[in-house]
Amino acid sequence: MFAYYLELALRSFKRNPGLTALMVFAIALGISVCMITLTTYRAASANPAGDRSSILFAPSIDSWDPNQSYDDRDKTLAPTMLTYRDARALYASGIPDRKVIMYKSGGTYRRADKGMAPQYFATRMTTADFFAMFEVPFLYGGAWDAKADAGPDPVLVLSKKGNQEAFGGVNSIGKTVLFKNREFRVVGVLDDWEPMPKYFDVSNGAFQDLEDAYVPFSWGQVMELGSHGNTNCWKTEVIDSFQAFLNSECISFEAWVELRTAEKQRAYREFLDNYVVEQKKHGRFPRPLNNYLYDVDGWLERNQVVQDDNKAMLTMAFAFLAVCLVNTVGLLLAKFLNAAPSAGVRRALGASRRDIFWQHLTESGVVALAGGMVGGLLGLCGIWALRAWYGRFVDEATRALPFDEANFLICVAIAIAAGIAAGLYPAWRIGRAAPASYLKVQ
Amino acid sequence: MEIRPILSSLLRNRAGAILVSLQIAITLAIVVNAVFLTQQRVSHIGRPSGIDDQNIFSFWVTSYEPDHDYLGMVREDMALLRQMPGIVDAAPMNQVPLSGSGNSTLFYSLPDKKGENSPANTFETDDHAVKALGIKLSAGTTFDPTTIKYQTTRGTTWPPTGVISEALGKALFKDQPILGNTMYDDQSHPIRIIGVIERMQGSWVGWDKVDRTMLTPSVGPDPSTQYVIRVRPGELDRVMAAVDVALLKRDPNRRLDKAKKMSDMKRRGYANDSLMAVTLSTVTGLVLVFSSLGIFGLATFNVNTRTRQIGTRRAVGARKRDIVRYFMTENWLITTSGVAVGCCLALGIGFWLSTQYQLPRLSLYYLVSGVLGLWLVGQAAAWQPSLRAAKVSPAMATRNT
Repeated sequence: MFAYYLELALRSFKRNPGLTALMVFAIALGISVCMITLTTYRAASANPAGDRSSILFAPSIDSWDPNQSYDDRDKTLAPTMLTYRDARALYASGIPDRKVIMYKSGGTYRRADKGMAPQYFATRMTTADFFAMFEVPFLYGGAWDAKADAGPDPVLVLSKKGNQEAFGGVNSIGKTVLFKNREFRVVGVLDDWEPMPKYFDVSNGAFQDLEDAYVPFSWGQVMELGSHGNTNCWKTEVIDSFQAFLNSECISFEAWVELRTAEKQRAYREFLDNYVVEQKKHGRFPRPLNNYLYDVDGWLERNQVVQDDNKAMLTMAFAFLAVCLVNTVGLLLAKFLNAAPSAGVRRALGASRRDIFWQHLTESGVVALAGGMVGGLLGLCGIWALRAWYGRFVDEATRALPFDEANFLICVAIAIAAGIAAGLYPAWRIGRAAPASYLKVQ
Repeated sequence: MEIRPILSSLLRNRAGAILVSLQIAITLAIVVNAVFLTQQRVSHIGRPSGIDDQNIFSFWVTSYEPDHDYLGMVREDMALLRQMPGIVDAAPMNQVPLSGSGNSTLFYSLPDKKGENSPANTFETDDHAVKALGIKLSAGTTFDPTTIKYQTTRGTTWPPTGVISEALGKALFKDQPILGNTMYDDQSHPIRIIGVIERMQGSWVGWDKVDRTMLTPSVGPDPSTQYVIRVRPGELDRVMAAVDVALLKRDPNRRLDKAKKMSDMKRRGYANDSLMAVTLSTVTGLVLVFSSLGIFGLATFNVNTRTRQIGTRRAVGARKRDIVRYFMTENWLITTSGVAVGCCLALGIGFWLSTQYQLPRLSLYYLVSGVLGLWLVGQAAAWQPSLRAAKVSPAMATRNT
């Protein structure tokens, strides 16, 4: 029966090719606009931590100015970064299963044998657990150990791109590079790795490039490596040396902890509160006790990784799809009613109302499917065009607008569902029409 | 008027009319809000930066050898650059306006953190910055070359003079004169204002205080700085290539990063705004096209199904003009009901967007224009079908279909 309905639908399309094309085009355009905005939205709202999202936590403690809250937007929120002293203190806790403190720095890298053109590498100053905690894949070698953190030992991990630039991509384990004129030994080279958004460091930009090199955190103090990311200060302090900066209330450090059980999570929250209460006795933390422990989802939301623009655009896109669909309902209705006499004949020859309904619903389903496919392709073209246009001056274009089969399928599915929904009323209406009135005038 | 019969005939054939007026309602809601949002973005993007941003490029310079004479390098590079053909002027700067990267500090109009305060986007540079950026001073002068602090270790206080933007001056000193006035950092160190910039945007175009900027006379001590170079119009690409060659020839022992055009950095800063503007105006255009097609389609359908009725009316004496008027009025009624619902919808969406996403509230001016516009679009879309209806011959009354 379905095949017969399909044949009828195709025949009906041939009768009004212009109208059919208009309907397909209406759905296609609605879908393509949705697809483009959905792509940006989904890229921004993705959570690359996957099922580890609920055991990874970012602490946020309120060390800010007593007279002014950290966040203008929501005054109840605490800073998203830590002072050096607090980062160190949190790192000393034995509660977490894994823990990491870090900040973003950078400097010139070169090779003593002059085999590499001197280059600036953005560098993540971090601790050993970083790689296991964020499931970073290695191409060669592996992470450094906790002993190297304590030393600190002159070891580092290069990204695949960093290794390409320093050693032409060969296995460089055991070789040395100069970072700010100090010799470091390569212990690991990362494989392709591009979490999107860069959830472990949204404070410096959720869509920023990953660092080219990873160096033990403690080298920051030894080599006096300043932050190359954001630094925020509120207190009147004389900062005349790097040590003074480390002792200041300026925040530019980040911490993550892995807490696998609810008990540990509770214990860690308690630890945070106790720490702040203890510090208050030393005259720090002048604001009321206001600590947070965010899992990855919470962290992305607290940092507004999905921008308001993304949400507003998505709303607009779906409203546009709604216009296109209402339009399609109107056109389908007109088309079906125009062809009502032939439906009257079918009814008179014994087709039930339900048959007529299904026949017309099949027709709208075919329109929807065609609209969805064309819309999906249009959407891909749109994304491609936007990437080409923005890629000229925004490196993040490819990350903010990824090609993603899932989006294509979601859009085609939305198109079919919406198209069939659009066909429901016209199909029902035509099925209800009394056959006699059409037969009379024939 | 013949509204009553039109109404009752509409009510008997509700479905199509309801669909079209629903479509008009959503269209109005989308178009009004989209145009409003687009307009904001466009005016945001179109603000003048105060800087000659189309003729400037910049790049990082880093000395990496342990005993490299960094300050000497900057001085000699500047001397070389400033006499190169095609270059208007050049200056070393720790940060570059419109680049998305910068420093901001809070300043006060009185010592001891008293009086008015305002954050200022600060740029460490020398006396050539005013000309190298192409900014206009509305009062005062640029720095005296002898007052530039070439530092080998980072100082803890600001140099005692500054050139600030009018916007910053107004934020700090309200109605008092800006030139010659003194502002203070959080440790009460005074900074005397020797020059006032008419307008100069800072690093972050998305910041609502982007026009509060300050130039401070200091170079160093970091091993890297940026060279900001302004060229004569049309010479950008040629000079960019020439500068790279000339600087490396003078001293190959440092790293020059790839030069970036300020116009590209500016576009990059506004990328999200222009993406939003482009998408929204495309959507607006498409929505209008589809709505008029929908209105056109329904009007055509109505005419087609009523040829006999029209013929009958013509046969009993209605003039062509009456038929046209009938369909135009019918369309006007549908549009109006759609517009009425659409107004509520538009205001609702506007309010929701403004609270949910911290956007400004929809201005009513846009709503009124939207209503008028849709009335016109509706009438225009119904015009051709109405004319066709008028052409129906009175003889149709006697035919069957």
